[in-house]
Amino acid sequence: MRYEGEHLLIGQLGHFFAVLSLVASLAALYAYARAASLVASPLAAGWRRIGRIAFITDAVSVLLVFVSLYLIIYNHWFEYRYAHQHSKRSLDVQYLLSCFWEGQEGSFMLWSFWNAVLGLVVMRSARTWEAPVMAVMALAQVFLASFLVGIYFFDLRVGSSPFVLMRNEFPDAPIFRDPQYLYKYLVDGNGLNILLQNYWMVIHPPVLFLGFSSTLVPFAYAVAGLWTREHRSWTDHALPWSLFSAGILGLGIMMGAAWAYESLTFGGYWAWDPVENASMVPWLLLVAGIHTMLVFRSTGHSLPATYLFIPAAHILVLYSTFLTRTGVLGDTSVHAFTGEGSTLYGHLLLMIGVFTLLPLGFYVSRRREVPVIRQEEQMSSREFWMFVGSLLFFVSAVYIITLTSLPFFNRLFGSRWAIGEDVEFVYNRVMVLVAFVIALLTAVTQYLRYRSTPRRQALPRLLWPTVAALAAGLAVSMSGILRYERYGPAFQAGIHIALWASVYAVLANLHYIGSALRWRMKAAGASLAHAGFGLMLVGILVSSSGKELVSRNRTGIAVPGLKDARGKDENPLENVTLLHRAPMPMGRYVATYLGDSTDPKGDRVHFNILFTRQDSATGETVDSFLVTPNAFLVKGEEGTQLSSNPGSKHYLHRDVFVYITSWLNPDNIRDTSSFRLQPARSGDTAFYSGGYVTIDRVIAANRHDNEDLPVVDSAWLAQLTVHASDGRTFGAEPAFLVKDGLPAVKTDTVWEQSLVLTLQRSPLGRIELGLRESNAVTRYITLKAYLFPYINLLWVGTVLMVVGFLVSAGYRIRSRLRSVRTDAAG
Amino acid sequence: MKKMHIILLVAIAVVIAGLLTWMKDLSTYDTVSSARRKDGRFVHLIARLDKTQPVVYDPVKDPNYLAFHALDSVGGRTKVVYRNAKPVDLERSERIVMKGRMQGEVFECSEIVLKCPSKYKEGEGAGMKGLEGETPVPASATSGS
Repeated sequence: MRYEGEHLLIGQLGHFFAVLSLVASLAALYAYARAASLVASPLAAGWRRIGRIAFITDAVSVLLVFVSLYLIIYNHWFEYRYAHQHSKRSLDVQYLLSCFWEGQEGSFMLWSFWNAVLGLVVMRSARTWEAPVMAVMALAQVFLASFLVGIYFFDLRVGSSPFVLMRNEFPDAPIFRDPQYLYKYLVDGNGLNILLQNYWMVIHPPVLFLGFSSTLVPFAYAVAGLWTREHRSWTDHALPWSLFSAGILGLGIMMGAAWAYESLTFGGYWAWDPVENASMVPWLLLVAGIHTMLVFRSTGHSLPATYLFIPAAHILVLYSTFLTRTGVLGDTSVHAFTGEGSTLYGHLLLMIGVFTLLPLGFYVSRRREVPVIRQEEQMSSREFWMFVGSLLFFVSAVYIITLTSLPFFNRLFGSRWAIGEDVEFVYNRVMVLVAFVIALLTAVTQYLRYRSTPRRQALPRLLWPTVAALAAGLAVSMSGILRYERYGPAFQAGIHIALWASVYAVLANLHYIGSALRWRMKAAGASLAHAGFGLMLVGILVSSSGKELVSRNRTGIAVPGLKDARGKDENPLENVTLLHRAPMPMGRYVATYLGDSTDPKGDRVHFNILFTRQDSATGETVDSFLVTPNAFLVKGEEGTQLSSNPGSKHYLHRDVFVYITSWLNPDNIRDTSSFRLQPARSGDTAFYSGGYVTIDRVIAANRHDNEDLPVVDSAWLAQLTVHASDGRTFGAEPAFLVKDGLPAVKTDTVWEQSLVLTLQRSPLGRIELGLRESNAVTRYITLKAYLFPYINLLWVGTVLMVVGFLVSAGYRIRSRLRSVRTDAAG
Repeated sequence: MKKMHIILLVAIAVVIAGLLTWMKDLSTYDTVSSARRKDGRFVHLIARLDKTQPVVYDPVKDPNYLAFHALDSVGGRTKVVYRNAKPVDLERSERIVMKGRMQGEVFECSEIVLKCPSKYKEGEGAGMKGLEGETPVPASATSGS
């Protein structure tokens, strides 16, 4: 059978380039590996050239695969399963890219794309390191390409292609017996998950994946260092790459946090969800590795630790992909990663195994050559405390990933364990102490010298920041903003000391930029990153422990005796219902539901809620603002459901954050009270309990005498004025239509009067006006509202930290290039 | 013994202590009958919505009271009370993970995670509308969860 309207060439091209990228990366792997093992031989140059050509071929193929899939999505060619599942015609153009990362294949494609880009940069910059490093990069590309080919080796399908056709995936479906199926049935796609229709979701995944992908470069240099036995000089390159990677990965993670904060409704930016943890753990390991690498370069200590942390960062990236993509996390994550990737299970485990055995095997075989200094570090030395900090990061990473892996352990051992009642506290009670120690080390360590620090030197320089931090910390503690009593005084004390240390970290590092570096900003990357990190900790501590539930419900039915494990009141009643236009006191505010409006597309409702705050003494309004949360309408068999997006009011020092949890949608009213009917004639009056209704005009039209009425056979419309007893008037226009011989009613509702008006035709053919008064039309929304103080410190700190990492990476690159030039000159 | 060894030992001790306290707080995934046996203990109950029973939620009266019946895979039934707003996809969900404790006959639930039929599964499994029946309709809108 010939099907009409299909575009098969683009898919065949896409699949061809996917297979080509696999073949080319295999060739690059072989050629570069040969070049690396031949080192000094004249043949090495030839193999290296072949490796380059192969890798460039791979990079171009990956790009063309990307372009092919984009064209398919952009042109809405729904004969392809990927377009059908992840896109639809009404999707805004800016979200078309988001379709890529909704699916598994698109995510791997993005990853592979970044690997290719980074590989080209490494190819140009690695010089003598090119062959061994590129061999490892090519190995990663082999695996990523294999996820996308979707070809069979005997009965085993390897990878899954994004270019499969709907009719090949569902060959038995009856619609494919019709050659015109594309015009009749597959006219539109399933569309993109509405949570992804957010601007953060356009930029967060590419940045995060660049972060993930860039951990490969330091990994490759570490492997190359072990491979070639050049245990020192690999860090010349690996250091700036690690700094770049930590900056971008940190930025990507925090963009995800910003997305969660702005568009998810768990009321915060971080929930210790497995998906979040899995992306943070590689970052912790990378930062630990950067610090041990610096120690090694200055003192010769800590090389084994560096060989552990740097490869582990990339292995954990792979492991986190395994956790989030294969459905192992199942019931524990709010993110909907279903069995989509169950075919990936063995495939990803194989990749993790290879990438673990590679550095491990080299290390074991070369362990006697790895230089280790037997002499101990001095307690007053910088390297000692840097190592302690790195170790603490490593320990945190182990703690977090062990807890996060619980569902995987369940699957391995058949157990049914779950993290207990209070998931966040399980992490927070440990991490608040980690934050304290890390912040303290961040503040002090830069003032120490490598090897040993004369006592008279460090202490006087630390004096001013210490005094200032004590004063500032005391001021914050006394201000009462850290009122977080839920877990008792011990945890509260932990928050306070962590806050003091974080303030100390910020001030000490800023002071260091001024006093030790004399504002030479090019060299101040580390201090900048440290100050930013300290500021992030301040922002996290203050906004989390000062988070305030604004919508505390005092009118609901509180059930006595419901206590949590610690004997405290369980689950404060967090939802408040606002009746339309009825002001409701809510914490320090009074909230009023002013109304709502529907998007032109009709799939989203915006709610207008006015918040006002009055001075309790004078009664004057001191603050007044509008918050407009919105919600997507999801039509289903059980009526229309809401998918809520929060709205927030940003101040410099606080955010008010609101989202809708329930809404009376007029579509869903199923009221049993019936209409009171009376003949509808112009000039008549009808009465109801709150006033009366005048019928100003009744318009009748039908197809024969009105050409403007093409879609219906005939129509009646009544123009009404509702006169409430308090003097207000409202207009209303109910209508009655006949279309294709079937009657249809368009009711109109005057919400303020709880009055529903309709127009009907009696069996005798008379047009009648119907009135109904009902409690069910009380218009309301239910919402939750929170207040986050000083959350901007978190975002500002993030930006500072990322800038610091990048400045530092630039500084290290320049100093490497300088030393290369000096070597060449010498 | 070197300073570094002491630090390593302390670090290991901290990890073990942390994990041990965490083990103490561990809970389990349960069915209705095994949750009944652990009356008052915090558990994760996996079940689905019993559609033969009404879902009670009236935000005008009390926006923090949701009551419904849950049915687990081995046929156990229980009434569930959740003192919070009704999750939007409750009726659509195919599986519900409820965290809470059995209080007598009622499961007092403090957190609900819904697992909704996902579009991926719809595509790969047999249940995809429009690709099965004799009179196919264009695929309906889907939602995320």
